[in-house]
Amino acid sequence: MSPSSDKSRAPQSSFRAISFDGNDLGRCTFQRPDRYSFFDCMPATGCVIARGAGLSYAAASFGTNSVSVQMTSFDRILRFSAEDGIVEVEAGMRLGELFNFLATRGLYLPVQPGYGALSIGGCIAADVHGKNPHRNGTFLNQIESLRLFHPRHGFVELSSDRNPEVFRATCGGYGSTGIIISARLIVSPIPASGVALEITSVADADEIAPQLVGAGNHCDFVYSWHDCTNPGKHFGRGYLVKGRFVDLPAATFTGPRRSQMRRLSADSRAAHGVCIYNRWSTKLMNLAHERMRRNGRAKVQTLDRVLFPIHASEIYFRAFGKHGFHEYQALIPMKSFDRYMLGVRNAILKAGVPITLASGKLFGGNADLLRFGGDGICFALNFPRVRGATDLMHDLDLLLGELGGRPNIIKDSRLPRSTVEAAYPEYFRFRSIVHAWDPDRLFRSELTDRLGL
Amino acid sequence: MNALVFGASAGIGRSLCRVLAARGDSLTLISRDMRDLEAEGAHCRAVYGVEVDCLAMDAADPRKVSEVLTAYLAASDRCFDTLLFPVGGALDNDLVRSSVDTIERTFNTNLLSVMTAVSVLLPRMATGRGGAIVGFGSIASIRGRNSNVAYAAAKRALESFFESLRHDLSVSAINVQFYRLGYIATQQSFGRRLLIPVPSPETVAATVVANLGRHFGSRSLPRFWLLAAIALRLLPWRLFRQLRF
Repeated sequence: MSPSSDKSRAPQSSFRAISFDGNDLGRCTFQRPDRYSFFDCMPATGCVIARGAGLSYAAASFGTNSVSVQMTSFDRILRFSAEDGIVEVEAGMRLGELFNFLATRGLYLPVQPGYGALSIGGCIAADVHGKNPHRNGTFLNQIESLRLFHPRHGFVELSSDRNPEVFRATCGGYGSTGIIISARLIVSPIPASGVALEITSVADADEIAPQLVGAGNHCDFVYSWHDCTNPGKHFGRGYLVKGRFVDLPAATFTGPRRSQMRRLSADSRAAHGVCIYNRWSTKLMNLAHERMRRNGRAKVQTLDRVLFPIHASEIYFRAFGKHGFHEYQALIPMKSFDRYMLGVRNAILKAGVPITLASGKLFGGNADLLRFGGDGICFALNFPRVRGATDLMHDLDLLLGELGGRPNIIKDSRLPRSTVEAAYPEYFRFRSIVHAWDPDRLFRSELTDRLGL
Repeated sequence: MNALVFGASAGIGRSLCRVLAARGDSLTLISRDMRDLEAEGAHCRAVYGVEVDCLAMDAADPRKVSEVLTAYLAASDRCFDTLLFPVGGALDNDLVRSSVDTIERTFNTNLLSVMTAVSVLLPRMATGRGGAIVGFGSIASIRGRNSNVAYAAAKRALESFFESLRHDLSVSAINVQFYRLGYIATQQSFGRRLLIPVPSPETVAATVVANLGRHFGSRSLPRFWLLAAIALRLLPWRLFRQLRF
């Protein structure tokens, strides 16, 4: 009945830890500090890992032997200068709240993933991408500098000039270098209040690459959706969404509301026991979805709706039920994409797993260390955790290895170390940077342990 | 409007800052660590465009509280419409046989610093346009138990002080309120499996600010704790002595 008195420490508690895609690790220990003095007395022994929104598909923010330090109370704007185009925020700030703050000042972050509840610290740690990586690269491109805490080093400023190696290992380092405290982000003027979306048909998988490349040269956003439930000759049929900035008359940005940003969590996603996706329901839903989108043709949406589409489709994730789903997101070199799609078709045919989502986008960005970046096509597949799903993931690992692509580490909670070692040429360099910075390997999660980091 | 929040860096205090800033109040924030205050102050300035002063002081040292506040008032012409004191806490070893350090620290933090701050700040209350002084107690003080001993005693004394304050200011336009807080979703309840609803600090802060003009003396928050408080008070000693909580 009384508050804890020692304000420097934060109480620990154990919770059932589950990754967003449904990988259940059992009970893990969590803390939720709300004062800076917490870091002054953080011990330099044991294992810890920072946690943001807890919405990573992989178990990047917890581990059975680690204490998760939840950074959600550090959610403030520390400095803002419209003239310099810089906003400094604490790591626990949510993307949607930052969008709301910036949008009323005519600014935004060009690179942001599709859900407003994600934390800035999480976006940095996973070096996430947005809707237009072929133009804007990944989240790294909009980080001017950041502040990291490690008990061995204290509070450290990192940027491309100060501790550049640790800076690059922190952006896309999955929390293995320490706790990101705050970041100075480069903001851009909002080009226009709306985005005109044009939808064109894609006949089959062979058309995906040429259509994406053709549209990518002159569109602000481009992505594709495909029906992969039919492994016949129309495998990969779907549509391309081409977005161009347009000014809307009297457009207002409401942005995602706070209540919207609390709707989805790893627990709430798994709250409904039954998965409604099977071979037949998925076929039917894909057919209905494609028909609806095609009939919609061109339309104009406000920027916030385009940037945060998941706020309108949380039910999609909940419908996977308690056991969750897999996402296989891979970056495939352009020259190998046709072969990749052929291999995907064969693997799906063999596994007999219902594909609930297949989507492609053009990619760019930096490919060093463990960063999911580089030129090519990023192609994602979603399917429920049903019989055959693990085999399908394994087959896709092999296929990707043959073709020289790289899987997205943050999107796959079972990705084996061997696949990452083979797909990321700088795996050992990353590992040596992290071990030199943190020889006792204090910052560990299930993800870093699984990947041998 | 000017508001002062003593205990502004976390929990209910931090949420109160946001609610007050959202309605355009200038803020004076008090807490122990300037790093927390500067972060909160920067956020309120950037998001709500309000003026914010930050004062670092340790509530465990009432003499220092008096000193820092006096110096601040000497250097500033700010008058206050609202004083809020969401400050305090219990120590882990707060038992019947506690050390003098534990007892002293608990009383200083929960009671004496608040009394001192009120005494120093009262002359700067904007009496002409009304105002409010709000204290925060705990349902732990409803009936003494064998844990949180000094904490419960200090909070019960604080409630008595606010009754006196209300009595003293009844001839003025200043409204004095006192909340007995139940479990709130702060560090206090983190990880506890409770069968009762636990409101967020944001909800509590919105309620407190919405109630600033109302005259009710003291009340439980959330309101259902009133029933628990009555039940606890009426519980026969024979049963109460067997409770361990």
